[in-house]
Amino acid sequence: MPTDNTTNNKTTRRNLFRKGGLAAGAAVVTGTAATLAAKGRSDGTVWQIDPEKCIQCGNCATYCVLDPSAVTCVHALKLCGYCDLCFAYFSPGFEPEAGIEAPAVESQLCPTEAIKRRWIEGPHYEYTIDEELCIGCGKCIKGCNNFGNGSLFLQVMHDRCVNCNECSIAEACPSDAFQRVPANHPYLLKGEDH
Amino acid sequence: MAQWKPSGLGPEFTYDLSELKKVDPALIHYEQAASVPTGMMKPKAIAVGADRRLFVAGDGGVRVFDPAGKPVLQFETGGEPHCIALGKTGTVYVGMKDHVEVYDASGKRAAAWKGLGERAYVTSLAVGEADVFVADAGNRVLLRYDTSGKLLKRIGEEDAAKHAPGLVVPSPYFDVALGPEGMLWLVNPGRRRVECYTYDGAFRFAWGKFSMKVEGFCGCCNPTHLAIDADGNFITSEKGLPRVKVHDDEGNFKSVVAAPADFADGTVGLDLAVDAKGRILVLDPKRRAVRIFVKKRS
Ligand code: SF4
Ligand code: SF4
Ligand code: SF4
Repeated sequence: MPTDNTTNNKTTRRNLFRKGGLAAGAAVVTGTAATLAAKGRSDGTVWQIDPEKCIQCGNCATYCVLDPSAVTCVHALKLCGYCDLCFAYFSPGFEPEAGIEAPAVESQLCPTEAIKRRWIEGPHYEYTIDEELCIGCGKCIKGCNNFGNGSLFLQVMHDRCVNCNECSIAEACPSDAFQRVPANHPYLLKGEDH
Repeated sequence: MAQWKPSGLGPEFTYDLSELKKVDPALIHYEQAASVPTGMMKPKAIAVGADRRLFVAGDGGVRVFDPAGKPVLQFETGGEPHCIALGKTGTVYVGMKDHVEVYDASGKRAAAWKGLGERAYVTSLAVGEADVFVADAGNRVLLRYDTSGKLLKRIGEEDAAKHAPGLVVPSPYFDVALGPEGMLWLVNPGRRRVECYTYDGAFRFAWGKFSMKVEGFCGCCNPTHLAIDADGNFITSEKGLPRVKVHDDEGNFKSVVAAPADFADGTVGLDLAVDAKGRILVLDPKRRAVRIFVKKRS
C-alpha cells in the first residue's frame, strides 16, 4: 500500500476548515456567524471572491494588506476526481516514469508545497491544501481548471480577513471577482447552492 | 473594473503550458477543409449518418445538416442532450443526463427509456445491429441494451470476485464506440487508455498510456472522446492539451489531426465522428462549429 508522508497533522483553526472540505466549511460558517457579523460593515457584509469570475491573476497573493494574504485556495472535495495524476498537484511537464508515490519537489506544481496528497484506494488520492503554506497565487487552480474538474478555487478566509472598507485586492482585481456577501453566508463555495 | 495590475509574483508562480502545446508540424497529417456553424449556444455532441448527414445535439434539441452543411431538420428533445448516436435505419438515439430518448428519422419521439437514477450522468452512446451501448459516467458503468430499451448487461463495474478493478471515471467524460465488425471499445479515462470488451462484459485488451508527449494521453483523465473509422483506426480527443490524434488499429500513434494551437484556450468537449469518406468531424464547442478535417494532399 502506498504511504503518504506528506500529510500535515498540524491542527490549527485555519486547516480545520480545510481538512473537512465543504462540510467543515459549513460548520465554520455557522460557528463564526456572530463574529463575522461583528467584523462586517454596518450593512452586515464581508468581502468574498466569486470563483466563476476569478481568472487567477495572482493579485490575491500580493495585494492584500495582510502578509500572508487573507485569500487561500479552497478545495471542493465533492467536485474532485481524486485522480492519481492530478495536474493541480504535479507540474505540467511531469512524466510519471519514476513513480508517483513520493514525487520530488520539482515535480510538484505548488511553489510553496501547500498541496498535500494522501492515497485513498486504487488509483484514487485525496488532495488538501495546507493553508499555512498557501499564499493564494492561484497556480494550482489553473492546473485543475485545465486538466481536472475545476474543484480548486480561491476564497477570502474570514478567520483572517480584517474586512477593510476598501479591499485592496478588490481594487486590483481585473475581473470584478470581489463582491460583498452577507456576513452570515461569507463563502461562495463551488458545488454548493448559495 | 480595475485596470490590469501586475501581481509581482516570481516566475515560479507562472502556469505555462506553451511548450507542451507545441506539436512537430511533420506529425500533423490533416488540415481543416470546412466548418459547419451549429447555430447553437452550447453544442454538446455530434453524429454522422451513412448518408453523411450531420446531427448536432445541444441547446435542448437536435439539428441536422446535409453534407454541404445546410440545415435540413431540427427537433426538440425532452431535456438537455449530452450525446447522440444513429441507428442503421435512421433512428436517432439521444442521451440525456439520466436517460435515453429515441426519435425516428423525421424527429418524432418514439420512446423515452427508463431513468438511470440520480447519480447517472450519461456521456456517450453507440449503436450496433441489435444493441445500444450507454456510457454512464456518474455510475461508472457501460450499459448494454437491446434496441427496445431492455437492459441486457452492465459492463466495467468493479467485481472483486473476478479481479475486475472497475472503470476510473474522474470527470464527466466517458466515451464508447463500436469498431469494424462491432468490436466494443470504451475509454477508461482515469487509466488513460482505450479498452475492448465483449458484449457480455468480458475485458479483452487495452491500449494507451499516460504521457504529456503527443503519442500518449495527457492529464488526469483522457481521452475525452473516441471515434473509430472503417479501417479500425482510432481517433481521440483530449482536454487540458486540446488535441485530436489518430492511432492505428493496434493503438500505435499515427498522426495528429488538430494540435492545441488549433483550439482556443480552455476548449473541452471535442466530440468526434468519422464520415463515410473518412473525413474527421470535430465538434468545437468554443467556436460552436463542427470542423471537418481531411488528410493533407502532400
Ligand atoms: S499553487 Fe498557489 S494557490 Fe495553489 S496551493 Fe500553492 S500557493 Fe496555494
Ligand atoms: S478586505 Fe483587507 S484583509 Fe480582507 S482580503 Fe481584502 S485586503 Fe485582505
Ligand atoms: S485579484 Fe481577482 S482575478 Fe485575480 S486572483 Fe484575486 S479574485 Fe482572482
